[in-house]
Parts: sequence; structure tokens; C-alpha cells
Amino acid sequence: MVSTFASMADFLAPAQASFPEGVGSVTLAHYLFVSVAMFTMGLIGFLTRRNLIIMFLCTEMMFQAAGIALIAFSRFYLHHTGQSFVIFVLTVAAAEAALALALVVLLFRGRESLNADQWHSLKG
Amino acid sequence: MLHPLTTLASQPNVALDQYLPLAVIIVGAVGFAVANIVLTKIIGPSRRGANKGMSYESGMNPVGTARKRFNVRFYLIAMVFLVFDVEIIFLYPWATTFPNLDPANPDAGIWLFRIFFFLFTTIVAYVYGFRKGVFNFD
Amino acid sequence: MSSLLVLLAPEIVLFITTCIVMIVGLWPKLEVRSLAMPIAGMGLLIAGVLAINTPANPESILPNIIPYAKAMTAGVGLLLVLLLAGTVDRSYEAAVERGELRFNPIHTNRAEFFAFFLFSLTGLMLCASATDLIWLFLALELVSLPTYVMATISTRKLRSQEAGVKYFFLGALGAAIFLYGFALLYGGTGTTNLIGIRDALAEQAASGGINPIAMAGIILSLIGISFKIAAVPMHFYTADVYQGAAAPVSAMLAFVPKTAGFIAMMGILAAVGWQYAPGGETLAADGVGTLPRSIYVTLAAIAVLTMTVGNVLALLQRSIKRLLAYSSIAHTGYMLVALIAGPSIAAEAGITSNGLGAVLFYLLVYGVTNIGTFAVVACLERPQPDGEADELDDLEDLRGLCRTRPVLGWVMVICALGLLGLPPLLGFWAKFLLFTSAISAGEIALVVILGLNSAIAAFYYLKLVTLPLLEEPEGDAPATTPFASRTFAGVLSAALVLLAIIPTGIVDAAMEAADRAGTIVPANIEAIERSITAEALRDEPTPIIDR
Repeated sequence: MVSTFASMADFLAPAQASFPEGVGSVTLAHYLFVSVAMFTMGLIGFLTRRNLIIMFLCTEMMFQAAGIALIAFSRFYLHHTGQSFVIFVLTVAAAEAALALALVVLLFRGRESLNADQWHSLKG
Repeated sequence: MLHPLTTLASQPNVALDQYLPLAVIIVGAVGFAVANIVLTKIIGPSRRGANKGMSYESGMNPVGTARKRFNVRFYLIAMVFLVFDVEIIFLYPWATTFPNLDPANPDAGIWLFRIFFFLFTTIVAYVYGFRKGVFNFD
Repeated sequence: MSSLLVLLAPEIVLFITTCIVMIVGLWPKLEVRSLAMPIAGMGLLIAGVLAINTPANPESILPNIIPYAKAMTAGVGLLLVLLLAGTVDRSYEAAVERGELRFNPIHTNRAEFFAFFLFSLTGLMLCASATDLIWLFLALELVSLPTYVMATISTRKLRSQEAGVKYFFLGALGAAIFLYGFALLYGGTGTTNLIGIRDALAEQAASGGINPIAMAGIILSLIGISFKIAAVPMHFYTADVYQGAAAPVSAMLAFVPKTAGFIAMMGILAAVGWQYAPGGETLAADGVGTLPRSIYVTLAAIAVLTMTVGNVLALLQRSIKRLLAYSSIAHTGYMLVALIAGPSIAAEAGITSNGLGAVLFYLLVYGVTNIGTFAVVACLERPQPDGEADELDDLEDLRGLCRTRPVLGWVMVICALGLLGLPPLLGFWAKFLLFTSAISAGEIALVVILGLNSAIAAFYYLKLVTLPLLEEPEGDAPATTPFASRTFAGVLSAALVLLAIIPTGIVDAAMEAADRAGTIVPANIEAIERSITAEALRDEPTPIIDR
């Protein structure tokens, strides 16, 4: 199951074979491409946007990017480890969402704004 | 980038009869919605008035600015909901696996114990929410 | 299963204690409610006793770490419980006692506060017993999520909320990054079991180099976890959060996530191993080596930047808590040096050349000493009109403290000297082990930078020593907190720092905990392939029968 591949291309080539007939041409690389794109968009969004809710959604997108990668690898290796990982990732994401909601409500009461730039009373 | 999709569509061996249950569900869902609308038109009493004309006749009053703040209890309920919502995704894999367990297997008790422990943690969360007064509506 | 129950007994005890604390803390009667803190302490005590007797876990990548790491968690946790007394609900409980308010559970925070504290410690213990990436991810999140809430509710001031938000958002970013790293690591090796990953990586290294996906995964994981240990690319939150949260919570934040992060890093690096030749990615024949090149460069850059940034910015601070926060960043950098050095793989390795043992010992020493300094901040307070007294947090407030408040003054002097690493104190032995392990691994450049940084650190630590000890007090003595257990925690940690004449028992325990980590050089590829085949076969859950 675990083999050694010297380079990325060699590593991804057998993915073609491991998928069933109908989706034969959608390889692991396609999934990974989507996943990396989502992760990068999330990261860029987190660093550039200043609205707290948008920033939180960006981190959620990064979580889901990891989820896609896990599922794709799980299919590639034909076992369930990655899929069960995703269930736990979803749980943690839900817990974080609850926390983020609570924090955002608390903050909005305190300052009537969700702009991250207004939070600068702690400095030094 | 069209290439994968075209190859997928041109696959000769996609067995359409496998999609029959899906078609039944789609027909059922659409039929349910249509039947509800048609039947209420036919059977239901027809009254008109200012309250009846509102977009929601029960729940939040939709009059006034849309930027109004929700009662914070909605968030508490949302969070309690989240606990049970997430609990379900752990129960499903367990429930699909457990019936396949060999009854003679000595690990069967442990499998049962695990899910009971998991449910116990949810009950603790529930008791905590109850004591905290999350379910108090006054 | 039963062996797993024995291994996880401390966590189970802590978890049950958490459930009890969560319910008891909301009790309408004050006498019952006040039991939350003693119950938390009792749970930690039982968990600590159970932890010491835990056997080694052969399925873990750090087989011997469990007793030491869990006992350390419980011990420092007990000090923290003493320190956390009266952190939340102070003005509310006072109003309830005066009869101005009726007790309403929804307005109190006591139950959550202690329950979340115990949850966080449970997560730390679970980190130590992790054998799997999924487990490790969940444990790291269990450490962090409660601390976000604790920082936010630790005071009723706006600055705590701001601290909580900054901490949460950067924490979520860090979690997303190391989660992606874990996903790639799984993709590159085909398993989430840490021992399986170790074998897969060893096999890849032996036949042409580690898979680039796995390598990217390791580096992303390390960068994401650097949030937990407050290392440079993710260190921005540290000063703001430590300053915004109440001092007892800051003391906790300086120990619990940092320890969890270091244990997680040790686990991942042990899967990679320290046995690579310095030039390339091949296995070193003589068993003396280092990490793979790209990981080595990443970690060394992080370590150097972390030390330097922490120490230089600490020089500029006027607030005690910000100073301690930047010093916390600097200490992370010191420990990273020993982490890079790793366990010595050579057969004749002695006690002074085990970098992982040095890190484990340093974590304990840093946790204890740091609690002393934060206890002084937590004990000095300025009465506020709303009843929720504010902490004294300016360096000037320490002026002449040894005269006005001798106990607190001396605690500050001793603990600051301990953080500095003055020879007879506990901190010196910890730093000594960092130096010797790095030297024996041949990391001379890093050791020189470590030495220079320790010299810079002397400037600001000596401020914490000379201000209470040598300066004349100005005005009246500052008010102190009514919670005696906070002072007790400070005195206790100062006593531990002083009683460092014979720390060899603990050092031995730390060294034993790090024993056999990452040292298995795979000489026989066939054996690895056999074990991988066994791993693949084990993927199908055995108790399932087909119907």
C-alpha cells in the first residue's frame, strides 16, 4: 500500500488506476488542486479581510480544504482512515463555530463593530 | 478543463437503472411540495388580514428595521442544537457497524460501552445547559 | 482495551472531575459552589498519582513520555488551581453575598472556568499519550479551545475580550495550518499512525528521499503548531493575550499550550527521526545525524528568530505581563534549540546529551518559575469602583516591593532570577541541559546565539530583580488580593525554584521519558515492509463479519 516515489508526478500517476471506471480521468491531483486552492484562498482571505466573520469563514474554508485532501487521500489509499479523520475535523469545526459565534456576539455588544482594525487597545 | 467531464458523460457503462431510487425520491419530494400547496388551496380556510399577510405569522415580528438585534437566547439554542447535531455524525458510523458485529465476539461489550460513554458526555452537556438555564424562557 | 484504560486513567479521572465541577459550580448554594476549586484540585491530585504509575506504551512513538508528561501536567496544574482562585465572578459573588442580587446561573462563570481549565489539562495529557495524528489533532484542539474562553471571561473588562478574540482567530488559523499539514502527512505516508508514519518515512528515505507531500505536511504541521508554543511566525498574539487576560490565566497560557505544542512537535519529529546525514536526505551510517535538511533549516530559522524577537521586544516593555509574554517567546526559542539537537543517537549517550529530555525538564521548570512571577502580578491589585479590582501591571509598581510586601517581593526576585538561570537555582540546571545537549549534537552556531540571547535576557530580568530589591518604595504599599491561595502558589513556586540543589530525580525522569524517541534507525527494510503489510491488513476492523 505504501510505496516510495521520488517525485510528485510519479507519486500521483497511479491514482488514475485506483479510481473506478466512471471517474477514471479525475485523479488525485485534481482533488489536491482544489484543496490547495481552497487552502490558499482561505489563508489570503484571513490575512487581507478585516471583518471578523469573514475572517472566521476563511479559517473554516481552510479546515474544509484539509477535509477534501483527507477524503481524496482516503480514496487513493482505499481505506477509511482519512474519512474518519474528516468526521472529527467537522466536529472541531462545529465547536469552533460555536465559539466564534459567542465571541462575535460578545464583541459586538462591547464595541458595535466587527472590524478587526478597531481592536487595538492592547499595544506595545 | 472540459476533458474529465466529457469523458465521464461518454462512458457507455453508466447503469441508469441504479438511479431509479433517486428518481423516486425526487418525484416524491416534488410531489409532496406540490400536493401541499394544491391541497391547502383547496381544503384550507381562506382568511385575509394584516397579520395574515405578514411573511411570518409566528416567530419574529418582521416589522421595523432588518438590522434589529436578535434575542441572545437564539444563540444559546443554536449552540445547544450544535451539540446534538454533531453527536449524530458519530452515531451513524457506529450504528451501521454495530449490527455487523459477531455476537460471540468478546469486544461486543466494549463497543456498546464506548457509545454509552459517548452518550453520557452528551447528557452531561445537556444537564449543564439545563442548570445554566438555557432552556428557561421567560 | 484494558491496557488502554490503564494508560488513559489520568485523563478519565480528569474528565469525570470536569463533569462534576461543571455541575457543582452552578449550584445555587454558595457553600456547594465554592467546592468547585477544591474538587478540581482533588481530581488533579488523583490524576497525578495515577500518572506516575502508568506503564510505558509500546505503541506510542514516545513510549516512555506518559508518566513524566502527565505527572508534570498534574503538578503544575495544582499550582495553577491555587493561582486561579477568585479569578472570575468576584464582584458578582460579592453582590450576591450582600443580598443585592439573586443568584442566577446564567450570569456566573465559575463552573465553566474551572471545567475549561480541567478540559485543557485533559487535552494536554491526551497529547502525551497520542499514538495517531487524529488523536493528536483532537488533543491539541482540546487544549486550545477552552483557553480561548478562559482568556475572554477571565476579567469583565474590554481588554480581556479583545485578548480572547485575537487569541481565538490566530488559534483557528494555526489549527487550520497544522490540520492541513496532518492531511498532507497522511497523504504522503498512507497512514495516520505515528509509528506507521515513522516506518513509511524511513522506507522512503532509504529509497531515494522523503516524499515531497509528506515533507510539505511536516513543515506545515510545525508552522501551525508554532502557534501553540508561541514561536515566531505565529507569535503576534502572545503579548496582547497575556496582557489582556487576568494574570492567573496568563500563567496558564504560558504553560499548557506551550507544553502541548512541544509534545506534539516531539511526536512528529520523532516520526521523522534525527538520524539523517547533515548534507542530504540519506540515513547516516554511524547513527549520529540531524533532521532532514529542509526541516532542520525551517526549525533553526524559527528558533533563532523566536529567541531574538522575544528578547529584543521584551527589553522595550513597561508592562510586567507584556515583558513576561516576550520572555515566554524567548524561552520557546531556547527550547527549540534542544529540540533540533534531539535525542542523542550515539550509544554512549549520557544524561547531558539528550535534547528531548532537556526540553521536557525545561518545560516543567519554566512552568513552575513562570507561575511565581505571574502570581506576584495576580496578588498586587488596585481597587476599582466597580468592585472588580484591577491588577497592578506596571514595572514601576514593583519599586521597593521587598520592603512594602516582603513575601511578594522576594517571590518576584527569586523567580526572575530563576527565569534568568542564575547558577544555584532550578532554572540554571534546565538551561545547562539545553546547552550541553545542543553542544553534544554539534549545533555550535545555535548554541552561540542561545548564549547571546541569554545575555540580552539578563537586562530585563535584572529589572524585575533590582526594582523590588534595591529601589526605595514610592508612596504607600500596594493593595494585595484577598485570595491567600494566590500568594501561597507564588511562595510554593519560589520554594521549588530555590530547592533545586538536587533536581536529579526529576532530570532522570525527564531523560527516561525521552528515552528511545526517534532513535530507531531502520537497518532492515524487510522488517519495515513486513510491519507495513501488517498495518495494511489491520485496516479492516477485525471484529466485523460479513452478512
